[in-house]
Amino acid sequence: MGWIRKNWTAADADRWTKEDYLTFILSPLIYFLLAVGVAMSLLLLWYGWVLLGVSVILLVIMIKIIDPKLKAISEDYEVKQKEYLEDLEKIARWED
Amino acid sequence: MVVFGFLDWFWLVIFIVLMVVCGVLFFKLGKRSMSDFFLAGRGLPWWLPAASVYATHSATDTPIWVSGVIYKYGLRGLWYTFFSAWCAISAFASTRIFRRSLAYTQAEWQTLRFSGLGAELLRGWIAGWQVFMNMFVLGWVGIAMGKLCRFLFGWPEWLGLILFSSLCAVYVLTAGYWGVVMADFQQGVIAFSVIVLVSLWGIAAAGGPQQIMIKLGRLGQSWRLNPFAFSGWTSGDFPLVWFVTMLVIAVIGGFGMGTAIDWYPEAQRIQSARTIRDASYSIWAGTALIIVRNSLWAVAILAFFTLYPQIQSTADYEMAWYRLGFEFLPVGLVGFFFAAIVAIHLSTISTHLNLGASYATRDLYQHYFNPRASDKELVWVGRVSTFILLLGSFLYGLMMQEITQWLIFALWIMAAGIWLPSILQVVWWRFNAWGYLSSWIANLGLSWLIVWVLPEFRVIPVLPDYLQFWLMMILGALIYIPITFLTPPEDMDRLVKYYVMSRPLGRWKPVREQAQRQGLLQTENQPSGGGG
Repeated sequence: MGWIRKNWTAADADRWTKEDYLTFILSPLIYFLLAVGVAMSLLLLWYGWVLLGVSVILLVIMIKIIDPKLKAISEDYEVKQKEYLEDLEKIARWED
Repeated sequence: MVVFGFLDWFWLVIFIVLMVVCGVLFFKLGKRSMSDFFLAGRGLPWWLPAASVYATHSATDTPIWVSGVIYKYGLRGLWYTFFSAWCAISAFASTRIFRRSLAYTQAEWQTLRFSGLGAELLRGWIAGWQVFMNMFVLGWVGIAMGKLCRFLFGWPEWLGLILFSSLCAVYVLTAGYWGVVMADFQQGVIAFSVIVLVSLWGIAAAGGPQQIMIKLGRLGQSWRLNPFAFSGWTSGDFPLVWFVTMLVIAVIGGFGMGTAIDWYPEAQRIQSARTIRDASYSIWAGTALIIVRNSLWAVAILAFFTLYPQIQSTADYEMAWYRLGFEFLPVGLVGFFFAAIVAIHLSTISTHLNLGASYATRDLYQHYFNPRASDKELVWVGRVSTFILLLGSFLYGLMMQEITQWLIFALWIMAAGIWLPSILQVVWWRFNAWGYLSSWIANLGLSWLIVWVLPEFRVIPVLPDYLQFWLMMILGALIYIPITFLTPPEDMDRLVKYYVMSRPLGRWKPVREQAQRQGLLQTENQPSGGGG
């Protein structure tokens, strides 16, 4: 899947990109397939297993798409978090 | 009535001791600071809050509710439980935005996103509402346990309510959220294992999957196997338009904050995760487990239907899943089953005790009464608030009777008028505090008017729930959209600060451009390096 971006800079990762929008589509679809797939599989209906299999494949694809970006966002943000938390506490104490 | 053998009591006592001690063990961590007492120091790996999301949303009343909708609607009833799918998009949209804000609570987030008097009113309003709502949830979950104990042991309802909620309070009072989340993990594992065991046992008791389908065919009830057996576009008891409405509410709702009542406990789990990535995965995975659990329950309830197809009373068929466990599990395992029910119960009670206390402490006590309170004092305020919530929940619990009615009202109607504004506050820079506040007030009035008052006086007919939703959404918008435009936008400095920190999605162009002009953000054309 060459079209999936694996290396992100902090500034790029902070923008909402096609990787996010693809995840917005895949994620509810996986839940949907999971709900029907598990029920049908328990009834031993063949298409239940197919739906369940598709949901697992889509889950793997979704993680491959979004995980590099989430890692980049997290790493960048955690650097700034201490400063943000201090700021938040100042607001909480009505000092800012 | 269920009679316990020695092994049953053994399992029950061991598990209760284990659950309570497991929570209390984290006493020293919980008392370190307010951040520890309410957010476990913001340092949890994704699987811990995920287990907590799952455990919290598996309450004593959940199998009662799921049994009710599946017994009534067949597998179509699965979609009543699909509201939790708001986490599908939320995990990667509003979760990310909220985690970046670092707000302790949704009420605090209002004062980071909005400014001035409107923001303060919103914070006070949401904090007060959440204290009330958590007490209310504690009451309805608690009384479900009371009903179950009456069903099983013939106890008076107040005994089951007070006994188990008080047991839970032991570790919530001592260890705060550390106790909640650690006990949740253990309780989640026990609960999921037992849900799998009892559901498969129930399916086997009905003769297995093949027999279930054959029996449903003989009863002329094969439609129950089809999750998409709609009764028409708009007619019947399960119209397609209801299904579409549910999908819109659940899926699109993930872009907002507070579009579902479950957002509030989830918000606490989001902030307790150690990174944004952990927060996203915790919400996603916890909800995926909930969806799998619902499907397991659904097939087990179909099995129950083939065994007892003639039950007319809602209160009776709502006990379907519990009956599978208590009627078909062998002696020895029944105690194990009941221990899991206690686990399910404690995990929900503990969350709402701690969550309600976090609003009382952070948003009411610290924000309005004593901003300079020390961490030690705030932890103690948290404990006192927890205790008050516990007492209040006993009162509410004893006032409630029809669990399903309350649940559907809370899930569907109470959220209808604020569903869209809860999205707008996240995705539209111009939406201001006055708009959001007015949507809340309008919703409270409209929901009671449209659901109860006007039909009661025959001004309008009793509308189907999907129509109530759309009607309240439109009527609400007629109030809060003009108010938004008639009042000034939020202070630009506050919006820029919020934007730089949280990076929301949607229509934020003027704010983004202002942040770029101030040199706080790179412009789109500026090279950022990297690539893929």
